[in-house]
Amino acid sequence: MSKTTKTIVRTLNLSKIYRRGKVNIQALNNVNLQVSSGEIVGIMGPSGSGKTTLLNLIGGLDRPTSGKVFVDGVDITTLGESELADYRLRKVGFVFQFYNLIPTLTALENVEVPLALAGVSKNERRERALSLLRMVGLEARADHKPDELSGGEQQRVAIARALANNPSIVLADEPTGDLDSKSATALMNLIKELNRKNGQTFIIVTHDPIVTQACTTIYTMRDGRIESA
Amino acid sequence: MFTWSLAIRNLRRRKLRTALTASGIVVGISMMLILLSLVSGMETQVRSMVRALGGADITVSNSTSFRDRAGGFFGFLPSPSTLDASIVNVLSGIPGVYALSPQYSFSGSINGRRVTIYGIEPASYEIVTGGLNIIEGRFLTENSAGEIVIGKALMEFLDLTLGQTVSLSSGQIGAERTFKVIGVFETGMVFQEYAAYIALADAQEITGESGRITHVLIKCEDPSIVSEVSSLISSAVPGVRVATPTIMVQQATNMLNTLTMFFATIGLVALFAGSFGVVNTMMMAVTERTREIGVLKAIGAKSHDIMKLFLTEALLIGLIGGGVGVLAGSILAHVFPMLVPGMFATGISPFGMRNPFSRPGTTNPMLGGTTTQTFRLVLPAITPMNVAICFSLGALVGILAGLYPAWRASRMKPVEALRHV
Repeated sequence: MSKTTKTIVRTLNLSKIYRRGKVNIQALNNVNLQVSSGEIVGIMGPSGSGKTTLLNLIGGLDRPTSGKVFVDGVDITTLGESELADYRLRKVGFVFQFYNLIPTLTALENVEVPLALAGVSKNERRERALSLLRMVGLEARADHKPDELSGGEQQRVAIARALANNPSIVLADEPTGDLDSKSATALMNLIKELNRKNGQTFIIVTHDPIVTQACTTIYTMRDGRIESA
Repeated sequence: MFTWSLAIRNLRRRKLRTALTASGIVVGISMMLILLSLVSGMETQVRSMVRALGGADITVSNSTSFRDRAGGFFGFLPSPSTLDASIVNVLSGIPGVYALSPQYSFSGSINGRRVTIYGIEPASYEIVTGGLNIIEGRFLTENSAGEIVIGKALMEFLDLTLGQTVSLSSGQIGAERTFKVIGVFETGMVFQEYAAYIALADAQEITGESGRITHVLIKCEDPSIVSEVSSLISSAVPGVRVATPTIMVQQATNMLNTLTMFFATIGLVALFAGSFGVVNTMMMAVTERTREIGVLKAIGAKSHDIMKLFLTEALLIGLIGGGVGVLAGSILAHVFPMLVPGMFATGISPFGMRNPFSRPGTTNPMLGGTTTQTFRLVLPAITPMNVAICFSLGALVGILAGLYPAWRASRMKPVEALRHV
């Protein structure tokens, strides 16, 4: 697919201050980041440097202390709770380090959840979820519960879930952090393939060289600032 | 959404906890059902009592010495001496009196069986009391000399059929006459059906008390003036005893209402206690699944989706508790009276007083047997209404108890929930 140079995510003087008792912690300090559509962006840096905070703000999971986040030209920091939930449902997909699948649901049903939340009819979402599982190579495991799947398999289910409503951005927080190198390599190959086929933008927080090898752009963060590109 | 299947699976994941939590509701619901059923049972008894009392607002009888031990008020009140029939004219002059019917009741025997015989005037009797519930044949008419209407239970006991003749005597004088059975009545209460109705003139003739009556049944112009009319009668006519059955029924109904309130309160307190179990379990579930809530929110669930999920779980616990509670209550309501026969199977009348004739073991001339066999007054009645009330109460308690935990869950901030380990 064609890679455009259109800006999809832009942060403007983004700051986040946490209060921990009487101490204020500056997690983000005037971050200005620009991500083009179709990129695979890696964000590195020591722990506590603000990587996850940045990811959460772009994903609309948290609100900044100051600054703005533009996604496709819309400032998501001005959205209300319900609109923000809708933004998370349709515009972005999340992938977590520990997969975070719902343990009582099968692989297929886990992929169906975002579709159900979006109001997709039962038959349609079953079909779509199956094709997503086929895409991540887990069609045969559709009826397995998370505890019957390996870490790599669970993370692939999580990716299928993140892609369910065909979001333009996928945000991943240490997606390979709990995987062996073989599974990690397979996962990154999958991400590259999806990026190439569907043109989805990936923003990945990571320490893992296997991940950074696959990225088109890498930023390093330190003390709440972006240090280098 | 996945709300229902998710909720069911979450409850099944913690089967024991779900069962224990639901059992808190089971206790309250089954208690509620037992109590409501007992009250319904009593209501049924009172209702048939009302029918048996026949709608006469006031009965007037002689206030002096007792004549015999049968007759009178279905055995609740001993029958007094007789009155002169002319009292009817005096009573009809009392303001507020709408209709009157003279009656001569006595203890007689039919084919050797001692029962209560009511001598009545058919036309006025029907106006005052609304008549009997005739299930076979017909009631007495103005030309019913030599005809008799007998209670269903007595018919069966004496093995009689419609059209047969029976021999009737008054016991004291010994005069015997034959009567033709023209009708059968039913009251639903066995002891009331050990009775028979004949024409007033026949009753007076058999007992040799021509021109005498034992009671005057009175209907007032309006039910609300019954007590005023009865005190008017008491003051205007000396030497009579004035009874107001409808007022007694009203009092019994009031007592039943109080009883219902009392029982319902007990049941509600039990339910209230059970609901804390639901609150506790749901709070625990919310804490345990904080991370799951965070994930759901991260992938786009709105606050009300989360709220719905936990409310559904609480509702399910309530439904399980309500269902099992109704089942357990239905069983217990039938077992309970057997366990406490002294309270439910002997002679406590719906009026809360002991039947003067029903000492256990003695044979009551009216009842035709020992009281313990025939006087099962309070039988629990499990009505569809009671079941519906109890079941929906279980569901309601579940939802109410789930409200706060579900609200807490829905208010969680996704980032903080995701950080939870």
